[in-house]
Amino acid sequence: MRIKSHPIIDDFKKGRLVKFTYNGKEMTGYEGEPIAAALKAAGVMIHRYTKKKKEPRGIFCAIGRCTDCVMVVNGKPNTRTCVTALEEGMTVETQYGVSAKKEG
Amino acid sequence: MKRYNLAVIGAGPAGLSAAIEAKKHGMKNVAVFDENSRPGGQLFKQIHKFFGSKEHKAKERGFRIGEELLTEARELGVDVHLKAVVEGIYYPMKRLGVVENDSLTNYSADNVIIATGANENFIPFDGWTLPGVMGAGAAQTMMNLNGVMPGNRILMVGSGNVGLVVSFQLLQAGCDVVAVIDAAQRIGGYGVHASKLSRAGVPFLVSHTVVKAEGSDHVTGATIAKVDEHFKVIKGTEKHLDVDTICMAVGLSPMSKLAAMTGCEMVDKGGAVPKTDKYGATSIEGLYAAGDVAGIEEASSAMITGRISALAAAKKDGYVTEEEFKNEYDELNNSINKLRKGMFSHENKGRTDLTKTDEGYELSQTLLSKGYVADNEINSFPGVDDDIKGVHPVIECTQNIPCNPCQDACKFGCIMVGDDITSLPEVNKKSKCTNCGMCVASCSGQAIFLVNNDYEPGFASVTLPYEFLPVPAVGDVGVGLDRSGHKVCKAEVVEVRKNPAFDHTTLLTIKVPRDMSMKARFYKGMEATL
Ligand SMILES: Cc1cc2nc3c(=O)[nH]c(=O)nc-3n(C[C@H](O)[C@H](O)[C@H](O)COP(=O)(O)OP(=O)(O)OC[C@H]3O[C@@H](n4cnc5c(N)ncnc54)[C@H](O)[C@@H]3O)c2cc1C
Ligand code: SF4
Ligand code: SF4
Ligand code: FES
Repeated sequence: MRIKSHPIIDDFKKGRLVKFTYNGKEMTGYEGEPIAAALKAAGVMIHRYTKKKKEPRGIFCAIGRCTDCVMVVNGKPNTRTCVTALEEGMTVETQYGVSAKKEG
Repeated sequence: MKRYNLAVIGAGPAGLSAAIEAKKHGMKNVAVFDENSRPGGQLFKQIHKFFGSKEHKAKERGFRIGEELLTEARELGVDVHLKAVVEGIYYPMKRLGVVENDSLTNYSADNVIIATGANENFIPFDGWTLPGVMGAGAAQTMMNLNGVMPGNRILMVGSGNVGLVVSFQLLQAGCDVVAVIDAAQRIGGYGVHASKLSRAGVPFLVSHTVVKAEGSDHVTGATIAKVDEHFKVIKGTEKHLDVDTICMAVGLSPMSKLAAMTGCEMVDKGGAVPKTDKYGATSIEGLYAAGDVAGIEEASSAMITGRISALAAAKKDGYVTEEEFKNEYDELNNSINKLRKGMFSHENKGRTDLTKTDEGYELSQTLLSKGYVADNEINSFPGVDDDIKGVHPVIECTQNIPCNPCQDACKFGCIMVGDDITSLPEVNKKSKCTNCGMCVASCSGQAIFLVNNDYEPGFASVTLPYEFLPVPAVGDVGVGLDRSGHKVCKAEVVEVRKNPAFDHTTLLTIKVPRDMSMKARFYKGMEATL
């Protein structure tokens, strides 16, 4: 959920509202914010499933270090969504192992 | 290849301060590299007022300190490279490999200051990789930079200052903090930070750990349990908590990979850190380490260690004379030593045998184990004197922490800390409080209240710092909560003060029954009934 008003921070300085797709579904977020923030605001928890054990992963460090949040963005796998800026029309997909397709 | 007199890695408080210092001493080409798109390092997530004293920028909120440093660096002509990851530092070539815009650029640098900060630590437990388990820093990034709530119901693991500060910020963001737990027997961070949470109703559970993150594809709950003195889980004490997010604040480790790559001598200081002399110089000439990477401390000390390293580099290359160097170093060293004292200093950290303050006051044990000073403990501290007529400050700051904005705030001499900034603040009975409110708003620990026992027959007023939304209005009737977060009385809001000088801290004055003036310390609106 987005923080609508905050006692200390007057303005979160967001870009304009843009559309993108998450697993084919249309969503909106603010241009320039991390993709992960837009997903979190929409309640998305799972960013990827690990290759071998197929375990779910989500935001963990939020500063681009742990790679838990990687997804397939505009067809490119292993994109760290916590440090990649949202752009209009992006396609964002859950990553299964190393691709956007569920295996086995 | 572009050559710099000084290249700084990391644009946090240490790095920016180092670059500014170097420029001020006449170094021509100074660059700062940071991997983020926004400089400031950890500072930009810190929305609370800082401790220290004026010279350490105390009572300013962290992100403003960051903005100030950045403006100063830019004005002085520091080359700030953002989205620039330093991949390697190569000696003896004095070369830096930096990835900018997906391509590698090499720079040469006469001097390098490594100011890469720290990484968050994590403890593994059953289910710890589930979405919904995250670092406290991650939660802070989400809420304070991105404006998105990290979750609705949060369990905070770790009661050091990071855990305490982030928990409070979670409340400010509108989240529920279900509990703060710590495996140690004592709350690790400042008592004033813990007290802010306690009176807002957040429970502390010491000698507790998280054993499991529940849920199949994301966190739907947490299992916590008691631990014995060897941190072993006591069977049968497991308890379920209804949470959707688990935040870990279990310490930081210096991010010293780059330093290790250079081949400089390393030592163990809560993780491998480059071995440095008192100027931050490593075993390689011209290579320095400053800030958290050289040993975890605070932003306030990081700014000083950054400056010291830059000063040392400037001296080495002849930008300052021996005498200038000595004078400035002494000044900086003095300043940092003021911060390195008190109950939470390195030498006292983790001590469990401390029972008295430096002045000899008995420490509040309730504060250490439950996060609030008990009613029967509070009167013994020098900041608390309830026999004063009319409005007077009640300063509930009971541990030796490096902080003194309260003393500066009171232009009327009602509050005394003295020269040693870790001393407990004292109320000066002889000076008359004018009810200006500056002390309440300036106190970084939100530990000062204004009490008036003569407000109305049978009623007292209590003025408290309030940093939540919505701000109550005059005439609202709600409940007064005591230091432990329990509802103790009916409370009517009789004054709401906002002032640019208060910097976003609202001063709320509530009217409470006379016998509650030393108990009521927080206000909750009508939705909370007695
Ligand atoms: C959650 C949290 C809360 C805190 N609260 C407080 C507080 O209330 N008061 C206080 O005084 N201190 C607080 N601290 C501590 C304080 O923030 C740090 O001590 C301080 O920021 C350290 O400054 P620094 O400059 O050493 O490192 P940092 O601020 O961490 O900055 C280091 C910078 O270097 C960058 N970097 C690292 N490696 C590279 C590389 N290879 N290439 C390019 N860039 C790189 C990092 O991304 C980062 O931006 C807190 C810390 C945390 C984690
Ligand atoms: S309210 Fe004003 S006069 Fe009274 S103690 Fe605080 S700063 Fe001093
Ligand atoms: S009372 Fe004074 S010393 Fe204590 S936290 Fe507040 S400002 Fe700092
Ligand atoms: S959450 Fe760790 S890399 Fe994105």
